[in-house]
Parts: sequence; C-alpha cells; structure tokens
Amino acid sequence: MSKPPSVSPLVRSIEALSGQVIADCYQCGCCTAGCPIGEAMDPPPSKAIRLLQLGRAGELLDSEGIWLCASCMVCGTRCPRGVDYALIAEACRAVVLRRPVRSGRVGPETVTDEDCEEIPQQAFMASFRKFSG
Amino acid sequence: MAEGKSRRPEVAGPEPAGTQSASTDKPAISPVSRRPRVGVFVCHCGINIAGVVRVPELVERAKTMPGVVVARDYQYCCSDPGQQIIRDSIKADKLDRVVVACCSPTLHEATFRKAGEEAGLNYYRTEIANIREQCAWVTKDRDEATDKAEDITRLAIARATHDESLEPVGVTVNKRALVVGAGIAGIQAALDIANAGYEVVLVEKQPSIGGHMAQLSETFPTLDCSQCILTPRTVETGRHSRIKLHTYSEVAEVSGYIGNFKVRIRQKPRYVDFDACTGCGLCMEKCPARVEADFERGMGKRRAIYRLLPQAVPNRPVIDAEACIYLQKGKCGVCAKVCPTQAIRYDDTEKFVEEEVGAIVLATGYELLDHEKMSAYGIGRVPDVIDGLAFERLLSASGPTQGEVKRPSDGRVPKKVVFVQCAGSRDREHGMPYCSKICCMYTAKQAILYKHRVHDGEATICYIDVRTPGKGFEEFYQRATDEGTTYLRGKVSKIFRQGDKVMVWASDTLAGRKVELEADLVVLASAVVASPDGVELAKRLKMQLDGHGFLTEAHPKLRPVETLTGGFFLAGCGQGPKDIPDTVAQASAAAAKVLAMFGQDKIFHAPTTAWVDEDICVGCGNCELTCAYGAVKVDLQRGVAAVNVALCEGCGACSVACPSGAMSHRNFSKKSIYEMTEEAVR
Amino acid sequence: MASYAYYPGCTLYTKARELDLSARKALAVLGAELEEMPAWVCCGAIYNTADDDFAGRIGATRNIVRASALGDTLVTLCAACYNVLKRAKARIDDPANAVERERVLNFIDEPYEREVRVVHYLDVLRRDIGWDAVKAKVAKPLAGLKLASYYGCLMVRPAAVLDFDDPEDPQVMDELVRALGAEPVRFDFKTECCGGYLVVNRKDVARESSARVLENARAWGADAVITTCPLCQYNLDRLRDRDGLPVLYFTQLLGLALGLEPDELGFDNCAVDPRPMLAEKGLL
Repeated sequence: MSKPPSVSPLVRSIEALSGQVIADCYQCGCCTAGCPIGEAMDPPPSKAIRLLQLGRAGELLDSEGIWLCASCMVCGTRCPRGVDYALIAEACRAVVLRRPVRSGRVGPETVTDEDCEEIPQQAFMASFRKFSG
Repeated sequence: MAEGKSRRPEVAGPEPAGTQSASTDKPAISPVSRRPRVGVFVCHCGINIAGVVRVPELVERAKTMPGVVVARDYQYCCSDPGQQIIRDSIKADKLDRVVVACCSPTLHEATFRKAGEEAGLNYYRTEIANIREQCAWVTKDRDEATDKAEDITRLAIARATHDESLEPVGVTVNKRALVVGAGIAGIQAALDIANAGYEVVLVEKQPSIGGHMAQLSETFPTLDCSQCILTPRTVETGRHSRIKLHTYSEVAEVSGYIGNFKVRIRQKPRYVDFDACTGCGLCMEKCPARVEADFERGMGKRRAIYRLLPQAVPNRPVIDAEACIYLQKGKCGVCAKVCPTQAIRYDDTEKFVEEEVGAIVLATGYELLDHEKMSAYGIGRVPDVIDGLAFERLLSASGPTQGEVKRPSDGRVPKKVVFVQCAGSRDREHGMPYCSKICCMYTAKQAILYKHRVHDGEATICYIDVRTPGKGFEEFYQRATDEGTTYLRGKVSKIFRQGDKVMVWASDTLAGRKVELEADLVVLASAVVASPDGVELAKRLKMQLDGHGFLTEAHPKLRPVETLTGGFFLAGCGQGPKDIPDTVAQASAAAAKVLAMFGQDKIFHAPTTAWVDEDICVGCGNCELTCAYGAVKVDLQRGVAAVNVALCEGCGACSVACPSGAMSHRNFSKKSIYEMTEEAVR
Repeated sequence: MASYAYYPGCTLYTKARELDLSARKALAVLGAELEEMPAWVCCGAIYNTADDDFAGRIGATRNIVRASALGDTLVTLCAACYNVLKRAKARIDDPANAVERERVLNFIDEPYEREVRVVHYLDVLRRDIGWDAVKAKVAKPLAGLKLASYYGCLMVRPAAVLDFDDPEDPQVMDELVRALGAEPVRFDFKTECCGGYLVVNRKDVARESSARVLENARAWGADAVITTCPLCQYNLDRLRDRDGLPVLYFTQLLGLALGLEPDELGFDNCAVDPRPMLAEKGLL
C-alpha cells in the first residue's frame, strides 16, 4: 500500500534524501533504547522521528541530536519497521549543511594539534564528511 | 437445510455413494427442434443497480435477445414477492431456463436457483448476470453502464441456453471424526463430538494430551489453576468410550474426500506396552539417564523413560530412544528389570494404523518463535533470559521448582524481573508482523504471580502498547499496576549479561529517554507462531495457509471454522494466536459444524464438475498433474482419465490443461464458452 | 602462491601500520599474498547516505572500478574501507540507482566489470584458506588466552548489504580464535559502537561508549580485545586510563600464533602494552 505523502515539504525532502518512510515508524522506541549515544542525544531517535511525523522538522533541524549520531546504524538494524534513523539524521544534517550560511560543526580549525597527531585520519575524514559542509 | 434437501428430486444417474466414481456419462443433447425459452428478470437492488443502469431500457433490450420469451424487472428480486414473480413466470410462460440480472452469484445464486426449483425448473438452469458488482458499482456513466449491463445479460443468456438439467451428487457420510492435536482445542472438539454420540479418533504427537495448556501455571484474568481446569477434560477424554486416543502418533497420510476419508496414522515407537503397563512409575524412578525435558522448556530435567507430567493422560511412560542408555549402548536395562509387569519392549518399532472418518478437525496448535530470530535479546546465550512458557514452568506448582521462582543460572530467587513484550511480534523485520494477541495478558499475569511468590520482588514490563480487548482484561491489567508492576513504554533493543546481572536496554518513550535496566531474570513474551509440525501436515494435506503458516478459514467472518477443502474444520492456535476462552469457543464451533454434517445421511455436492469424453481422451495425465484437489486420476488399465465427482471443485483447470479437448465442465462447456465469447465480441 | 588484489586504505599506511604489516606477513605464512592495487584513492572513510550525494561516493566507486580491472576479488582489511567500498559497490550495482550509476561511471570514465567482489581479509581466511589450514600452520598455539572479538559497527551493518555475519552475534573472529588455540569469550558488545568519529568533537561521548565495550569484555573474563578497525582500536585503547585490557588487531595475534617474531608485529604501538600479559601466558 502506498503511504500518504508527508505534509511538510521539509519532511518530504528529508524522506527523499534518506530514502526512509517516516510514517512507517510506530514509535516503539527501540532505536532510542539501543542507541549508544542515547543518553546524550537530544532528541533521541524515536522522538526525532516523532517530530517529523508531526511536521515539526524545523525543531529537529535546530536540535543538537542530529549532530551526535555516530552512524553506527544499530537503530536501523533492530528497528521492527525497517526505519533507519542514521539515514534520517544524515539527511537532516545535509539539509542544514546545504544552507547558504555555513553551519558545519567541525573542521581543521576545531582540531587540536595533539589530536591531529594521535587520532587515526579515518576519524577526521568521517567526522568532517558527516559534520561539515 | 433439511427442507431444501427434501424438495430435491431423488439422486439419479451416477450414484457415487461415497465411493471413487468416475463420471463418464455425456451430458444429454437437447433436441434441436426445441427452442429454449428463457426468462430474464432484472433487479433494481434499490438504487444500487437502478441508480446507474437504466433498468427499463435493459428490459426492453433483453426482450429482443435470442430465446428470451419474457423479460421483467423488480425492485428487489431477492425478496419473497420478487421470487414469486420468477416462480409464477416459469409456470405461466413455460420457461426452461432463467437469467436473473442482479448482484454477484456468491450472494443470491442459491436463492434464485431454489426459487426456480420450487417452480419445477432444474436447479442448475438458473444463471446470474452480475450487473451490480461488475457493472453498476464500477461504472459512472449511465449510458455506458446500461450498455455493459446489456452485454453481461446477453452473455448469461448464451450460457443459460446451453445449461443442462443436472442432479446434485450425493455422498454418504462416515459419521466418525478425526481430530488432529490434543491440546485444549482438540480435546474440546473431540469431547463435543463424542458427547453428541459420534466416534472420534484423536491424534496427539506428544506422549500425553493437554498441549501447551498443561504447561501453564494459572490462567488470566481469573487466576484459576490451569491444571485444575484442564485435568477434568483430559480425564474425560482418556476415559471416553467414543474417543479413540492415538498418542505419540502423527497423521502420516489422508486420502479420500468429504464424508469418506482414509487416514494413516504413524505411531512412534514407545518401547512400552501400554496394555501391560500400569503406570506405577517405578521405571522412571530408577532410570539413570537424565536429559533436558522439552516440556519444562529448559527449566528442568527428566529421565530417558518419562511421562510429561504426573497427571498425564494416558498415564503411561515412553522411552526417549536417543537418551536411553540401553537403546544407545546395549547396556543398562534397568527399567525392564524393575518393571513389575514386564511392559518394557526394547524392540518396539513404529506402527501404522488406518482409520476411516468423515470429517477432520485440525487443531495443530502453536509454538513460540525460534530464539535464533531474536539474536539481540540474548535468549539461548544468556541463561537468565527465558521465554514465557519457561516462566510458566517456574510458576507452576507441578513444575520443576514446585512453583518457586528460581532463576536457571544459579537457582537464586530473582529480586528484579524484567518482562519484555513483543519479542518477535509486530516485528516484520526480524520476527512476525502480527500481534500475538495473548502476550499482554499473560505477561500481566506472570508479573502478578511473580509478585505473589516473591513479595519484595520488582517486576517491570517493557511494552509497546497494552492491548486488553476481552472480558475482564482491562481490569486485570489495572490489577497488575495496582499490585506494583512498573510498566515502561518502549521496545527493548538489547539484552546482555554483565556479571551475574542481566542488562536490558529499554526506553521510556513517554519520558523520551533511554533506560538501562538491571535484572536478575528476563522473561520474553516471544511471538506465537504456527506449530511447525502443523504447518508441515497442512502442506501435505494441501490446506491453504496464510503467509505465516496459519491455517486459512473459508471466510474470515462468516465461515471462521471451515476451510475451503470440504470436510476439514479448524480449531485453536493453528488458525491464529488466541487465548483459552477463544480456543474453546472455536473448538466447540468446529464440533458444531462436524455435527451438522453428521446430522445428514448424505451430503450433496454440486454436479457442475469436470467430465471426461472417453472417446477423445488419450490418458496423457496433464489433467491429473493440474488438479489441486486430487480429483482426476488416469485409469491406467483403460488409459483414460477419470474424475472423482465428490472431490472435484469444478475449478476448470483440467479442461484448460487438456490438449485433446476431452476434458470439459458440466454447464460450462466449450460450446457455451464459445458462444458467450461470440456474444461478447459482437 | 595465491595472490589477492588488496586495498590498504590511508590509515593502514600511517597510524595503523601494524595492522597492514602483520596481516601481510601472516598471510604469507598461510601461502597467499596481498598485492596492493595500483592508483587507489581514499575510500572516504565513511559512506555518505544522502540519496543525491553522488559526489560523496565517487572516491569509493573509483576504487571499485579500478579493482574490477585487476580480477574478481578485492581484499580489504580496515573495517571502514570494507564497509564503504562494499556499500558503494552495492549502490552502483542496484538497478534502482541507474541515474547515479550512469553519471558516476561516466565521470570516472574507466571500464567497470560488475563481477568484482569486495571481501574482507577474514573472508579470505574463512572461505579460501579455511580454519583447518590455519590450524595446521599454527606454530605457537595461543593456549590459555581468552579473547573478546570486537567487530564494531562497520563490519556488520547495514546487514543486508554487507552480509558478513550475524549482525548481533558474529562468529568469524571467534572461529579464528579457536583455530589459533585461544578461547573466545562470550561477549555481548561484539557489535556495539565505540563512538567512532565522535572522538573528534565529542570525546566525552566516545569515551563512554568505548568504556562500556571494555567493561563487558572484562566482565566476561577476556585477557584482550581483538578488532579489525583502526578507529575501534584507537577509541578502545586510548580513550581511557592507561591500564586494563589490551586492545589488539586480530592480525597481530594471528601472526604470533603462526610463529612470526613478536618484534615484527607492532605490539609497541598499543597504548596498553599487551606484551606483559602475553608473557605471563607464556606466549612471548
């Protein structure tokens, strides 16, 4: 059965970028329960999806939660409805990062010399690609 | 029903009388000289039809169609006066066939055929032109609708023109029933049929009857002891003079057809002579081999010679060959030595028994979802994560701990128990997409019982939604919360072991946060799935199953205990998850359907079946391969196909598959299809 | 000697050199060699998922295209490279993404053979060499060593695309551990996240995630944790006080068991030096 299209154009574009159907979520909270960052993430995944279901995408885009996702994909792996919040969070960040004003969270200027020496570059590549425009 | 039957003329022509009968007589050819006299009756169905189709115009057009001697319309043809118009017209206009242009034949074909029969017209000479579902309801434009209704009516007339008079096929009924599965569903159905005076053959794969209900502690929402309410039924079943019990047995094969089935039952080797054995239990005391008891769901052990429970019916042990030291290594023999009646038979083999029955009730039951599907929940890896049936055994007074709640890893009394609902239910990605229906209530019950046993214990239930649509159910759920159970709304993501604790990653979606729970014991409300053995049997019997292996009823609302295969009925969780009251109600309903069948000496089968023109048939066997009902077989001696009219459902697949044109369908002959097609493309 | 086209990736050339070196040497003992593919570029370190982000997937796709000219198998070792390359390949092969496929392949403008498979080094051990052959080459069985196999996220998720092992309880490293004569511990955090790249800007969060993984491994009685991801190794090994469980690459212990000299295996790169523990077990 085809799903009714989401009301808000912003939610529709998040759906298109993530390939996820927001209405598929039945708010069981399993994603929040298993999220390794769940305690720190605000809003946690299930609440974030709830905001999108209610058409309140703006609130989510302004939140800190989408910047805390480690893309570990454990939420989507255990979701009983096949919704992957990691892809939704990435779509949300893409919407923010593509805004005219640069809004990235990380960049060479935010990294200390010590970390630069120590941390595997795999982490810098991944972090910059997920969190900067 | 009885009235309708009495009006029917005596069965003439081929009389199968419940035997394999090939129908080979050719339909009589009408004298060419006699022109058909067709009456057409157009129903308005209020505005359902008349609101779209111009009925008076349709009537005028029908009058000009070949063979039509009268065409009329009426507001509601299915009403008494409507039927009377048809009856009167048959007599007055000397009609020899009738077409009613109205709703779908699934609704009123039988009504109008009976009306015609009452006026002396053969039952099978009334045809329906469906101008409601297939025209009025799906067409907006009035002109188009009227034209389409005309086409449909003209085709029906063409078909009716070739209709022959047919007589229903009468089949005698063997008034004995087979019930497969002796859980509470099978027991109830068997008792109802037997108490009505008919013999029942009851087959159970386990060594004793009672099914899963025998494993349960107390039942929701009344908390009466499962054993206490079950044992009167098992005892009555075991002693019933009209119930023939085959335990430790399975249905190997079913042949025949409604009213006349032959059943082959495979009895597994028991290694105990049930007639010689007195059930004293000495062998079970002395047997040195101990293995995990399936019945105890990993919570307890049994001997190699064992019965499931002290109240077993029949109260006879069987030997588990794989666990038995003597059968594996040839040494031991303790049971044989101690048996006071020399009932041990190490040389026992599987046996086959044949039974003949007229109706079959499938009560094949359920199992819980396989642990492997729930990898993240640690069950099977973490000893103190168990499923709901295992916890029933811990709560059960006759269980391995005599009702004391002790966790499996170290035997300690758990002070914190977390119950996890929807473990595999409502999970289309890892488990089953459906709601298992019973878990909300039994989890509430288990939390209540746990707190009755462990007064300072903490019970937490993680749930997605609590569903309580049953008598006293909501109150029971409230009781669980009143007695101190914490309900936490959120599906559990992961369960793992940390030291001697079991950790549960849950969430509290009402507060919008992640929660980590520390537990001593975790109980999963695992999804209810159709019993794999039942699924395997159903497939062999060509029964229709849904995508999850549950048996499909003939109609989800109006024929809930019948199947699409004549003579087969359903009861219990094999058809879908349900609780004990629903199961018992459905089992009694299935029994009532069997009894309604047994109330007749003969059952009648539509004669609109396939038939073989033996002059053309070359016996290639395509028809036999195509037939889904096993109704067509090639007679190898004569080299031609033969149709068993009692089994034939008249689907027509064989006549399509027949390369020589020998296979045809009564009152749906190639000639009538050809002429209908001619009319359609005119 | 069987030879495999090999994609080392950036980190294995610098901060995770010991992973690369120990893997090559160990495989040589097992009678196979890794031949580094020419002209490889960075995989991107993480797979970009936004549907229209074609550019974000070009680097990884370019590697796939180039590897496809070399043979039917491309071996990876770093969990991130494995994850990104395998997902990029699945993306480009999926008929549902025909537009992206055409545009990206046109841009790359080199011939692409679909048959090439992206596999992990562990696949080579498991499928091509086999545990019995590994066992036969073990010179120094790791007897008495209890190991927690840590896969992290990148080896197993998304499960449908990677199809590597059970995403909740993978077994391949446990099988290897057994083949080497060590004992795999039951461990519930095999595929829980270490915090990954959050180490760059949210060390607090990554530290907490990593600590939980180690805590569970310790609770199950592990002597060490083994992994195949440089970032997992870093987060587990460095985001804590410098004591406790050693965190190693599985290839280092594979090399040790196959009789390589401890000096060749780069044990000195670990923050928590595993050598005292290994010495105590009589393995050094």
